[in-house]
Amino acid sequence: MRAPALRALGLLKAAGHGAGGLPEVGGRPVLSLVRPPHRDDRQRRATRECLLALAAVEAMLEDGKAGAPAIAGERTALLYATAAAYAASNRGFIEGGKGGIHFAYTAPVVVPAEVAIEFGVTGAYTVVLGGPPATLRAIWQAAIWLDAGVCDRALVLAVEIFEECADLYARARRLTARPLVEAAGCLWLERGRGQLTLETLRGGRRRGNGPPEQDGEMFGCGPIAALDRWRRGRASGPIELSGVWRGESARLVWSENS
Amino acid sequence: MRLPERIVITAAGVVTPIGQDVEAFWSSLVTGASGITPIERFPVADLRVGRGGEIKKLSRIKSWSRIPDCRASRLLISAADELVGQAGLRPLPMDPARLAVVVGTALGGVEEGEKAVAGAPERRRLRGALYDAPGHHLARWLGAAGPVITVSTACASGATALALGADLLRHGEADAVVAGGYDVLCRFVMRGFDALKALTKDVVRPFDRRRGGLLLGEAAALVLLLRERDAGGARLGTLLGYGSASDASHIAAPDPSGHGLERSIRAALGQADLAPADLDFVSAHGTGTPINDRVETAALKRALGARAHEIPVNSIKPSMGHTMGASATLEALMCLLASRHGLIPPTLHLEEPDPDCDLDYVPGRARAARPRISLSTSLGFGGCNAALVLEGVA
Repeated sequence: MRAPALRALGLLKAAGHGAGGLPEVGGRPVLSLVRPPHRDDRQRRATRECLLALAAVEAMLEDGKAGAPAIAGERTALLYATAAAYAASNRGFIEGGKGGIHFAYTAPVVVPAEVAIEFGVTGAYTVVLGGPPATLRAIWQAAIWLDAGVCDRALVLAVEIFEECADLYARARRLTARPLVEAAGCLWLERGRGQLTLETLRGGRRRGNGPPEQDGEMFGCGPIAALDRWRRGRASGPIELSGVWRGESARLVWSENS
Repeated sequence: MRLPERIVITAAGVVTPIGQDVEAFWSSLVTGASGITPIERFPVADLRVGRGGEIKKLSRIKSWSRIPDCRASRLLISAADELVGQAGLRPLPMDPARLAVVVGTALGGVEEGEKAVAGAPERRRLRGALYDAPGHHLARWLGAAGPVITVSTACASGATALALGADLLRHGEADAVVAGGYDVLCRFVMRGFDALKALTKDVVRPFDRRRGGLLLGEAAALVLLLRERDAGGARLGTLLGYGSASDASHIAAPDPSGHGLERSIRAALGQADLAPADLDFVSAHGTGTPINDRVETAALKRALGARAHEIPVNSIKPSMGHTMGASATLEALMCLLASRHGLIPPTLHLEEPDPDCDLDYVPGRARAARPRISLSTSLGFGGCNAALVLEGVA
């Protein structure tokens, strides 16, 4: 598969950037991101995960030194990955009475929908659910669409929030042994010239370089954080992104130039 | 754009309110049977509408002892049981690592989340509440060790799953893919649609001027996808094209302009390398809400031009309700069965056509016709639009 080129990357992360962010706040089970302010009346009911998604796209645009019009239109595809960001709104709707969460906001698809509405993105889309393998799958699918000419650019968005369900995650301690770190990230991909390979393995051992222990657990945002770290380190050569979820390990090897 | 490799559908399995196998599902569709009943499985007395397409008893699997106590997973496994029998997947005739699973859902295992929040002590309820759990349960039951993917594009999920499954085959990540969609009828979703006032107290009447909304249903539908070069002679049909597009308009309502749906139809026809004149039939999303049916009709007329008026268009949602994540897969399968049987199922309860909905909707009774090329359209929350182009086998 022809690899996409990474035009820009936006990442918000509760533990700060780079290795070593986590120990400063060590001991807490969940590290949270604050709710960004809504921009207009239309967004007043938007959930925290939606607003974080918008902030991640803004950070990506800033990184790419581009304005919103650069990603608007039908030639931009939008792919969203998450393991659990919707759990907060699901819980809010289950527990809430009148004046609680608007039902539509319980759907995972509403997070990219808010991005589409805010930035006028009207191209192909998909939503993949799961942990890091889902985000790697979204990058892979973006590469397929770019290669096939379905789109000229693809945004791969991932959001994970945990605060609202911290007690549930504590009960389900087998979900993760590491602190949960909230994050929202977005990649801007364009057609590239390198090589991309994706391998998945069920029931096997972790392959490749997963996120460092000190980064905490970011579920679907893990691969975007790893890509951010790789780019900040100005490393050369191919990058290997990997992750495990429900017994499935996935490894994406991405060389931008060949 | 390059023409993609052809992907064929060789087997299917369903569980629906109108039949718990493909034959019973088809028979009920063409005879106009209804699966809409008062909901009994959870409390609805406080809701405006307490009816829907509820499956009263899952009858296909005889012993649930080794299958998770999760209704969504059980719907999926019921449908898979039929597919496995049709396709000869027990024992698996391939390396398990080459069998992938791609399922689409709007709600996943949310009912498990309701139980967990209500205090159910089991940790498995929490793990099951994440929407991708039922897909993994299905993979384990199938013995599949290839990629397991859950997509959630709301009520277009069943179409998205077929498209991603086809891409897995085209890019050599699997040699066979079990793909489809599912969703359960539970209090969470009934409360939600009730709050939106989207449910009708009447029957579902797509394209009728009196239409007042939708009813919900539950179902699972799965198909087996193979590369054409790997498939033998027997097949239900071919997946020729897929297109998707965002409305970027509203989180819960379709864009009144319908331009997103129009773009998805054009994209699907483009991937199939077909023109509107090649189409013989349209399976519409046809929910029976005032806005959906008007928007969909307008988008079909723009995308297909004069051809929109020349070919039959139906909606099967009146018979079993809107089955959300399952609906697009069920409707794609219905297109292929129409080709096989030479019959197009009717749009039930369409008696007084809406002047704004002026296509040939096959009202009332099944029609003798054998569509070869069909278009199936889906719309969902978040402004999701998807279209599939399928070729049936006469």
